Amino acid sequence: MTCDHLSRVFALYVVFCALRAASIVQAARDFEKKVSILMKEDSENPKCYAEGRKDFTCFWVEDEERAGSVDQYSFTYTYQNENSSRCPLRAVPAAGGKRLFICHLNRTQMFVQMDIQVRREGILIHNRSLLIELVFLLDPPANVTVSSTGKQGQLNVSWVPPPLKYMDDSMMYEVSYAMADSHVGQVEVARASSELILRGLQPGTKYKVRVRVKLDGISYNGYWSAWSDPVFIETLPAEFDPLIMSLTLIISFILIVLSLTMLLSHRRFLTKKIWPTIPTPDSKFQGLFTVYGGDFEEWLGQTNGGLWLTPALFYSEECPSPLEVLSELSLCPSLPSPTLPPKISRSLIADRKKDEDVKKGLDEREPAERGNSALMEGWRATTHDHWLMDRLRALHQHPVPCSQSSLLESQDTYVTLSGNNHVEDEHLDDILEEALPLEVLFASRKTMLCESHSDLGSVQQSSGSGRLSSQSSFEYPNHVWMPKGPGYTYMAVADSGVSMDYSPMSRADDIGKVVIYANDYKNEIPAHRRPFLPRQHPVHDDG
Amino acid sequence: MLQKTGRGLLALLLIVLEWTRPGLPTPLRPICDLRVLDHFIKEARDAEVAMKSCREGCSLSDSVTVPQTTVDFDVWEKKNALEQAQEVQSGLWLLQQALSLLRTSVTNTAMHSHIDNSIRNLLSINAVLRSLNIQEYTPPASTAGLEGTWRVSSATDLLQVHVNFLRGKVRLLLLDAQACQQDVS
Repeated sequence: MTCDHLSRVFALYVVFCALRAASIVQAARDFEKKVSILMKEDSENPKCYAEGRKDFTCFWVEDEERAGSVDQYSFTYTYQNENSSRCPLRAVPAAGGKRLFICHLNRTQMFVQMDIQVRREGILIHNRSLLIELVFLLDPPANVTVSSTGKQGQLNVSWVPPPLKYMDDSMMYEVSYAMADSHVGQVEVARASSELILRGLQPGTKYKVRVRVKLDGISYNGYWSAWSDPVFIETLPAEFDPLIMSLTLIISFILIVLSLTMLLSHRRFLTKKIWPTIPTPDSKFQGLFTVYGGDFEEWLGQTNGGLWLTPALFYSEECPSPLEVLSELSLCPSLPSPTLPPKISRSLIADRKKDEDVKKGLDEREPAERGNSALMEGWRATTHDHWLMDRLRALHQHPVPCSQSSLLESQDTYVTLSGNNHVEDEHLDDILEEALPLEVLFASRKTMLCESHSDLGSVQQSSGSGRLSSQSSFEYPNHVWMPKGPGYTYMAVADSGVSMDYSPMSRADDIGKVVIYANDYKNEIPAHRRPFLPRQHPVHDDG
Repeated sequence: MLQKTGRGLLALLLIVLEWTRPGLPTPLRPICDLRVLDHFIKEARDAEVAMKSCREGCSLSDSVTVPQTTVDFDVWEKKNALEQAQEVQSGLWLLQQALSLLRTSVTNTAMHSHIDNSIRNLLSINAVLRSLNIQEYTPPASTAGLEGTWRVSSATDLLQVHVNFLRGKVRLLLLDAQACQQDVS
């Protein structure tokens, strides 16, 4: 039992010592804070402050090297009309290689002048005259509590004033509040009260609040205390304000009505700007879209094509037949000019298809069929070719030694067709060898090519595509091409050199890039097409 | 008809009496707001500052007796209310005498307004004390040998004492006044 008793006493003693130590540590920390404040605020030496109604502390700082021992110094104070007294000093080491000499008084007289003299070995080093009630430096307010008032953007701050009798109504407080993450804050002053309501705060934000105290300076005076420990609190979240909401709705409604009115009054103008009318070729092709639904073939068949040549002829589905294109080498006056009406020639070509021999090659070409390439390929004769057949037979029967001069002054090209029926095998071989489809002969190829004003350029291009079999007649410069024999059916096609290009691929730019699809019917062969010519030869070899 | 006349006269009499209200004087309401005293203190401070900057015609012709302004809280609290009141009232009386002397001594007209103001304020403080049910002070026959007094010979010292006295003892007395304590509680 004694042991228990002793152990309890011992435990209590330990706790007591710990608390004391803690309080001492806290007091030391507070003292350091006050020293630092006074070092900034007080310019005189020694620096003095009163903590309460009875406590009074003075201190001064000296460098460690130059400071003497405590005994060397004397601190003397004299109240008005009284005798002087001495204050016991103590030395405390300070940061930065300095020493603090401190005098502490437990009893003071206020409202009376006090003269202080500090001597070191008899020599006066510091002199000061003050009134103690005018140098208060209090501890910061304790128990700072911040709570919400229940209203938007408001906080209620309350604290416990320093416990000084007679001075409660002489105290002045400063409440500093700032948003938790910002350094710039605002300050509110409160006099002789222990709570304050902060207004005008942002909703839903975290605030940092702290308080400090000072005597108001009428009866008592002093320095601002240190800031209390900050308190963090979050304001109420933003509320739904019905007034603002309703105003917003009304204003937006008004704006919408105004904008609609504007739009409706100017709708025609706006429609023109946003959806401009895109010109379509409907007007030029009467009935093409309305009657035939865009079926150009039918439309062509029904209407008089007129000026419009039909490169779309190659969309026919008949069997292809070998096609030989002859240039008119001999324009015998006796012979009827095989100038066919361009439109008919075109229609003939459109109806042709390659035969099975050439199908292979032609199949490759079929995708390449464009514009004048149709001329290069075999087409099956339609009823229209009868007239042409006659013409060709006439030519065949009266072969005219074609000279080089038999240029196509008229700039016509002739297309020969060899139909399946008429060709025998050997002839076929011949045909295959020599005149497989798409032999195009030009009287003076080069000149034609260079300066032709017809569609030959496009013909060239198409043949230069590589799709053509070797029978491009480019290897026959200035050759006189004689009709092979009766096995061949010849169709003379006159190309007036004017055509329309309906291929989506046709672009002048593409010509340089895409060799195959020569579509532009131009009356002039551009210079850049010339490089195609050398290419024709390997094409021929491949065939 | 006489009855009617009689009633009319009675009514008239009552009205007149109500207006004049003859009777005992009502007790003064206690002035517990210390802002009045603070105002006096500020004016006394202004006078002291003005006196410090005064170069000519601002001297006291004779030394005067002034109350001690020292306040030791331990000592003060040990005194009872009567003693405190006594101390304050005698001090106020002394100051009035001194300031009157100063008024005649000082020739600077700027200082005259300050001194007059201070004297007026002292009288007002007396009224405040009266409102707090503090007994009237009977001044002694002579000021010599009074306890708790000093002698000052300069005008600045006098005004300084004046300020310190107001800030110290007078204020403490008003703070602690019984009449005001009841109001607060």
